[in-house]
Amino acid sequence: MASMLSEGYRLVVLGRSYKEETLKQRISKLLQWFGIEELVGQLELVEIDFLKPMLGIPEEEYKNLCTNTEQIIHCASDTSFSERKRDLVFKSNVNSLEGILEFAANAGVTFFHYISTAYVAGANVTVCKECLSSSADFLNVYEESKAMAENIIAAFCKKNFIPFTVIRPSVVYGDSHTGRSLRFNALYFPIQSVKYISEIYLNDIKNNAGKKSKQYGIFLDEEGFLFLPLRIFLPKEGALNIIPVDYFVNATMKIIANPSPGGIYHLTNNSLTKLEMVSVYNEQFMKIKGVEIIYGRSADNVLRNPAEELFDRFIEPYRSYLSDNRVFERTNTDLVTDNLQPPEFTYEIYKNCMKYAISVNWGQSIF
Amino acid sequence: MKNTANKPENEKGPYETARNCRHYAMCKIDFLGSGVCESGLEKHFVSYYPQGRMILYEALAEKKISITEKCVEIADSCNLCGKCDYQCYFLNEMRPTKVMEALKKHVGTFIANGGKVKPAKDDKILSEIKKIVGDNWATNDEAILITYSHDLSPISEPKTPDYVVMPYTKEEIASLVKLFNKNKIPYTLRGNGQNLLGFAINEGAIIDVNRMKTIEFDEKNWLVKVGPGVAAFDLQKQASERGFRINASEPAALLCANIMCSGIMSTFSTTYGINADNFIDAEFIDKEGSFFSLNDTSSPNLYSYKNLQHKSSPGICVSASIKLHPVTNDESGILVPFQTLDSALDFIKDCSVRHIGLALGIVGTEYISVFLSPTKKSAAEVKDIFLNKLGIPYLVVVIGDKFAIRTISEMGFPFFDQRLFNALYLGLPSLKSAEWLNLIKELSDDEPYSYLRIKSFADLLETALAPSPALYSQEIDPELRPFFEKLFSREEMTNLVWLNMNRIMSTKLGRRKPFLPVLIYLPIDNVLVNELNDKFRLIADKYHIDNDFGFITPIDNGKRCIFEYDYFFDHTNPEEINRIRQAATEVNILVDEYSKKTGTVKGHPYVLYQGFSRKENLLYS
Repeated sequence: MASMLSEGYRLVVLGRSYKEETLKQRISKLLQWFGIEELVGQLELVEIDFLKPMLGIPEEEYKNLCTNTEQIIHCASDTSFSERKRDLVFKSNVNSLEGILEFAANAGVTFFHYISTAYVAGANVTVCKECLSSSADFLNVYEESKAMAENIIAAFCKKNFIPFTVIRPSVVYGDSHTGRSLRFNALYFPIQSVKYISEIYLNDIKNNAGKKSKQYGIFLDEEGFLFLPLRIFLPKEGALNIIPVDYFVNATMKIIANPSPGGIYHLTNNSLTKLEMVSVYNEQFMKIKGVEIIYGRSADNVLRNPAEELFDRFIEPYRSYLSDNRVFERTNTDLVTDNLQPPEFTYEIYKNCMKYAISVNWGQSIF
Repeated sequence: MKNTANKPENEKGPYETARNCRHYAMCKIDFLGSGVCESGLEKHFVSYYPQGRMILYEALAEKKISITEKCVEIADSCNLCGKCDYQCYFLNEMRPTKVMEALKKHVGTFIANGGKVKPAKDDKILSEIKKIVGDNWATNDEAILITYSHDLSPISEPKTPDYVVMPYTKEEIASLVKLFNKNKIPYTLRGNGQNLLGFAINEGAIIDVNRMKTIEFDEKNWLVKVGPGVAAFDLQKQASERGFRINASEPAALLCANIMCSGIMSTFSTTYGINADNFIDAEFIDKEGSFFSLNDTSSPNLYSYKNLQHKSSPGICVSASIKLHPVTNDESGILVPFQTLDSALDFIKDCSVRHIGLALGIVGTEYISVFLSPTKKSAAEVKDIFLNKLGIPYLVVVIGDKFAIRTISEMGFPFFDQRLFNALYLGLPSLKSAEWLNLIKELSDDEPYSYLRIKSFADLLETALAPSPALYSQEIDPELRPFFEKLFSREEMTNLVWLNMNRIMSTKLGRRKPFLPVLIYLPIDNVLVNELNDKFRLIADKYHIDNDFGFITPIDNGKRCIFEYDYFFDHTNPEEINRIRQAATEVNILVDEYSKKTGTVKGHPYVLYQGFSRKENLLYS
């Protein structure tokens, strides 16, 4: 949104209030965070309900909206991986499509851009093509709902002659230059978990003479590093496919500026990040030693210390993404973005991102 | 009048503290093991306990009464030992000693300045009363009368009695009844005046039964016969020492009065029952001054139930034979968290139908956070943690033997066991600053409270919170810290079984403000319970009354439950009292409507004075 406004686009944001905040308040906070409050004039905000006829807005307003809309970027989604939330995730990511697609048809838009995920290819695919997914085997409900949504969108758009694109990012983290980010899940979660667990034991060492820490061989070494024996069990050898949000924005802007009808674009990284590397960065930045990555073994039959057990629970939803070995085709992306590539995940980037995450308490005090 | 309820305790002067006395009579029982006010134990009138002195000081400060002989005696008899500070701080974060000091100073200054102490009035009736009970045990001194003149009920008006009498035997009560009848003097029995409905307030004579504390165990018949002055906590203590348990209501409630008023109920009512389930026999003095026992075939049938509001008292209960229950040495308590009231209701119903657990009760976050926290400020923070970080709006307290606890585990419900509860309780100050809690909620995404399944979670929690009596006491007034540190070193203070069987967990509920409980009996029907829960909240919100879910306990094998919803009010704010009165009226109308509509809902006003009835008559007729 910020980049589009900065480039002079006029945007209509269709959204809803959340908790006790109106859409206007939410967007206003975002503009402030981006430091572009002066561009508010380019924005029109419309509170809608995707599940209601005509998006739940009065007929006259709906008609005006149709007249004034050229392109749609659909980026709303529920990113929960939880099977227990299946109904909610499908309601947000699939059932809500009808209203926005109907709107696209009524408005006769020149393009419908859908922000999806690179992981719609399914769990058992090695090479992920830039085409619609026919997989029936997904790692979680989020992947499944996004794959279904892509198919629905493609079918509807084809039937109604609406040009569309599907933009599929892999795991997105903060800005590679500033570290700024609005969300702190995925990559951040294991790092945050290690930090929190280390704080539990540091506190024990500081205030309780390390009574509990000693039991598990946890101690503070002479250089001030916390030795925290933490074995991370991953099902198979692999790596993280992560891209910074600035790359995501730049690539998406290029796609929107020059889209191919029916184009599917993988915004992924050819330079993969091994968890061992993240662990090395972590050691340096958080001053924590003792983290060990173990591939190919399940932790189920291993006697684990409390820190390991807690960490295991924390990372469970993300475990498969930490040692992924799916390869993503990028022919369409490279073509439309003039071969724009995401950067390698260096210590400098890691440091900036974690510094920012900690400064905003992992998103708790971002606004 | 100025609203003072929300002012920090340490900024309140003696008058404000006095006005905020909750009238719960907890200063009359030794629930902290720190001892009880010596003058109270000697003189027995409530006036000689901290509660009475608070009321007396309030009245003096408001110039409602003069300084009388008894007033001087009451002030002099306080030795400023500070025991009441321990008790009242634990419950309400209040320090009554400053009131005691102010009272002594007020009276001392009056006398030093040559003030004339008002002598007792000559009174023929009083002389007759004294002939029955002895000179020390009847009075018309206004310093004593005022301490019996009101409670915190928002729906009753203060009334000053003419006499307060403290009989020692049932025969004395019978003689008093005859005397009062002859002289057309209305009389009212008073236990510890805890009903907070104005039932122990009246003109005429107040008969305070606090000297009648006989306790006779008949172990081979599994009963204990108690006089009308025996408090639930005191009896439970003695029963426990003998290896038994009674079904006890509020710790300071006198058992006979409690049965008379609305029957004994607690979370143990799941197993032990309510009303007539709790006693074997009881002895009464009727309105003519004659005796009758429930087991006499010619006695009035108090086991029956009439669907009437505020039925009149059947007489004076002068003793009750309370049932003793067996206790096993493998009992423990757990707290089972739930995300919705529906799921908690399903759970208690299932447990109750299957006879799993001795005591069951759904409690809300207000209840648990107020209990766990040493101060009001802390309670608000802890409530937020329970709701927003741990994602726990409801908890079910279960007390059971090892088989019951194992069964609940096998049923697949994660829970806080005694070890986790200890860590949470004594580690509370660390909990508030625990950043790792931010991740805990995420763990609940796939399976609610799955973090409780982590084998070493107790170890982690103990590491993270470093629970200890010293840590817990950090937030307590520095002067009182050593006492509380010692107190919380005692095992029972964090023991869920002890806390529940003595009803200590609910004693802090009125700390923020006094409360008016909306109490009903109804089936465990999720739709009905949720509907009423919503409507109680809406009514309270309409009148801007603080409110919260209280508790739900299943009874009679899960066929019915007791549901309490609480309305909190500032008793020092007349405007708020007016609002809660309107809300209470609306609630009564609502419950009446549901009662008619369903034929299964019974409101508390329809139970009053029918605590001796069979539960079957109450619940199913």
